[in-house]
Amino acid sequence: MNNNNLLKKGRRMGDLKYMILSVISVLTFLLIWQLLVIFGVLSTRTIAAPTQVLVTFFEKFYSTAPDGATIFTNIAVSLKVSLTGFFSAIIIGTPLGMLMGWYKPLDRFIRPLFEIIRPIPPIAWIPLTILWVGIGLGAKAMIIFFSAFVPCVINSYTGIKLTSQVHVSVAKTFGASNFKIFRTVGVPSSMPMAFAGIRIALGNSWGTLVAAELLAANAGLGYMIMMGRQFVRPDVIILGMLTIGILGFIFTWIFTKIENVVVRWRTL
Amino acid sequence: MSMEQKAGTRLIVKDVSKTFYQKKIEPHHVVDKVSLEVKDNEFLVLLGPGHCGKTVLLNIVSGLMPPDEGSVYLDGEKITKPNPKIGMVFQKLGLMPWKTVIENVEIGPKLSGINVKTRRERAEYFIDLVGLKGFENSYPHQLSGGMKQRVGIARAYTNDPEILIMDEPFGQLDAQTRYNMQNEISRISEHEKRTIIFVTNNIEEALYLGDRIILFTECPARVKEIYDIDLKRPRDMIDPEFLRLRKMISNNTDLAL
Amino acid sequence: MKKTAAYDQKRRPIKKILNSLLPFVSITCLFLLWFYASNINPDLVPSPASTWERLIQLFVKPVNKMNLFGHVWASLQRVFIALACATVLGVTVGVMIGWSKTFKAIFGTLFELIRPIPPIAWLPIIIMWFGIGEFPKILIVFIGTFMPIVVNTYTGIRLVMPLHLDVARMFNASNRQLLFEVAIPSALPPIFAGIRNATSSGWMTVLAAEMIASKAGLGFLITRGMDYFDVPLILVGMLAIGIVGALLAIITEFIERLLCPWNKKLEQD
Ligand SMILES: Nc1ncnc2c1ncn2[C@@H]1O[C@H](COP(=O)(O)OP(=O)(O)O)[C@@H](O)[C@H]1O
Ligand SMILES: [Mg+2]
Repeated sequence: MNNNNLLKKGRRMGDLKYMILSVISVLTFLLIWQLLVIFGVLSTRTIAAPTQVLVTFFEKFYSTAPDGATIFTNIAVSLKVSLTGFFSAIIIGTPLGMLMGWYKPLDRFIRPLFEIIRPIPPIAWIPLTILWVGIGLGAKAMIIFFSAFVPCVINSYTGIKLTSQVHVSVAKTFGASNFKIFRTVGVPSSMPMAFAGIRIALGNSWGTLVAAELLAANAGLGYMIMMGRQFVRPDVIILGMLTIGILGFIFTWIFTKIENVVVRWRTL
Repeated sequence: MSMEQKAGTRLIVKDVSKTFYQKKIEPHHVVDKVSLEVKDNEFLVLLGPGHCGKTVLLNIVSGLMPPDEGSVYLDGEKITKPNPKIGMVFQKLGLMPWKTVIENVEIGPKLSGINVKTRRERAEYFIDLVGLKGFENSYPHQLSGGMKQRVGIARAYTNDPEILIMDEPFGQLDAQTRYNMQNEISRISEHEKRTIIFVTNNIEEALYLGDRIILFTECPARVKEIYDIDLKRPRDMIDPEFLRLRKMISNNTDLAL
Repeated sequence: MKKTAAYDQKRRPIKKILNSLLPFVSITCLFLLWFYASNINPDLVPSPASTWERLIQLFVKPVNKMNLFGHVWASLQRVFIALACATVLGVTVGVMIGWSKTFKAIFGTLFELIRPIPPIAWLPIIIMWFGIGEFPKILIVFIGTFMPIVVNTYTGIRLVMPLHLDVARMFNASNRQLLFEVAIPSALPPIFAGIRNATSSGWMTVLAAEMIASKAGLGFLITRGMDYFDVPLILVGMLAIGIVGALLAIITEFIERLLCPWNKKLEQD
């Protein structure tokens, strides 16, 4: 009894040890980085010290150099583009995948078209989209749409295909129509898979956004880091990268929360 | 560290207890002051209801898990870590899906650094003995439940343990296969004399195989009764003496097994 | 009841034939749409014929001294080199942080902090550091392929069944043997899944790198098409990108089957 409590205590101390080790490791990393810059081992023309990045962050609250917008404007522009593409992909892709999984003729009709689009990475659409639509919101949203659309369709399709045949048969014996079974049995049971697809779509659309903004934009976080390169402002580039990373992390976190609520029954 | 023991006794379990502490759950007392002795070359059966703590007790005996209290002695030496003298057929088998049958069977000698030729020969011998000739290069997922069980048994034998622990080896099998496997294990243990600790929750199985049966209580596991079984082999499940013993043990158990 | 059964029987063959024709119908529709659009605005949507012509021309009159295969090879080469390095390093790092809590505390946290940054976002700073030669492009692709391999290797090592470890311990396995005989082999399927993800992610990243700064490769080809308003060239490039991407996926899956024959999940597919 005593023995076991001691063991437990020991384990907790161990966890603490590893946590401290993580913190030390991150701090050491930052410190070395800082020192390398301060002592001029790394040139400030190619890299900025962590403290400099922090200063730039506060400066960018109001400063529009070098890309012509404050950091909040850039964030807002990026969010608008990516969310537009992302949500249109969910709204079109997820139901489409489910319907394809349920209705054979629809599957056979759309599948070939889908298989043609699928292997083309969204980034490869950029030149064509620029020529067709320009470099406005629509063009970028369309590229992001392509990146998010494919996983949405594939996963909700697979989810529907995995619907338990037993549940379907039960619903049939109650005389439910095919569409009713689809709605009441197929759709809910495919939700976990559909959400897994949306999660992939989320990551894809954020990654593709950067590519789209590097190549075709006049505002946004991707544009900001591109301008940072042109005006040799490593601090701006690193700030942009960090902002992109942190926002991506926050999205995934929020999404996980939503997923947990919506797909709660999965664990019941 | 060592402990005096009577002649002919291989393994001594002394006052072993184990409790699991988990977050948000009441402490779970699983093994309670269990003491028992295992004699040389005997077929000892541990009989107890499901989830009474048999597997936990075996994990302690084999040195995979430390007891909270008490200790286990093998030939007078205290057990603190797994010992190659003790072999185990795991309840859930744990065949490695990435290894073929023969690679699974030869894993013991391989881990002790025995050369390919010798260990292959040994593995072949036991694969043959358990009746799996011809399946050496199959993967576990291609085998039936009974065949997988045979692989688990061959794997334990190939490492040449002096004491062999089998944890409900036939629990997952259907009745017919189970009956066949009981005959098989009887045959194999005649052929390859070892000290065997065999765990089951099935009274017939216990009586059919055991020289001695130790009956456990419900959770936490405690020794309830020890029976010496002097029936002649091969045993007959409808022999009146067999049925009498069966009834006696059955009346003494907490659950209808 | 009887009537419907007979009715069904009569109708079923026709329905079946219609069903099997549907894929051809949809492809035909796509082509008709394409013809129609190219009639309306041949500059923006070149006809299938002129796309085909452009493809032939690409071999007669190479772009930047390379025909289509040259550009395909340029892109593939970058992916292969990066993928090879990422596999070696990624598996090593993944195994280390999956197996040792100390390594996880030291490197795992740093890795987790860097991971949310999409590989493409590294482009500007890497160009700034290393210019626009071959190395920075391979480095970018490396970042794109390294992440999924590390994540999958780590997960695979963490998910090794405790029972399998117990079995090996029962046979007196050393710590080293537990790692090399049990943990790593049991993590092979997730590791291969990681390499598969890495391949498609690498294929995408190389395009991005080539589109931003390059003189060869499929990404270069389609941006060239954009700069010169050569839409047929863009279409040819996209087609090649799609075909090579699909082939890469097929090849990695084939290799996976070959090297992990016990992987039931693949067999059922
Ligand atoms: N590592 C563990 N942590 C917590 N509880 C455990 C652990 N191992 C076993 N138990 C619990 O101990 C009880 C006895 O388990 P076990 O020994 O497997 O029973 P059985 O007699 O069927 O082999 C079970 O209720 C099980 O949930
Ligand atoms: Mg058990």
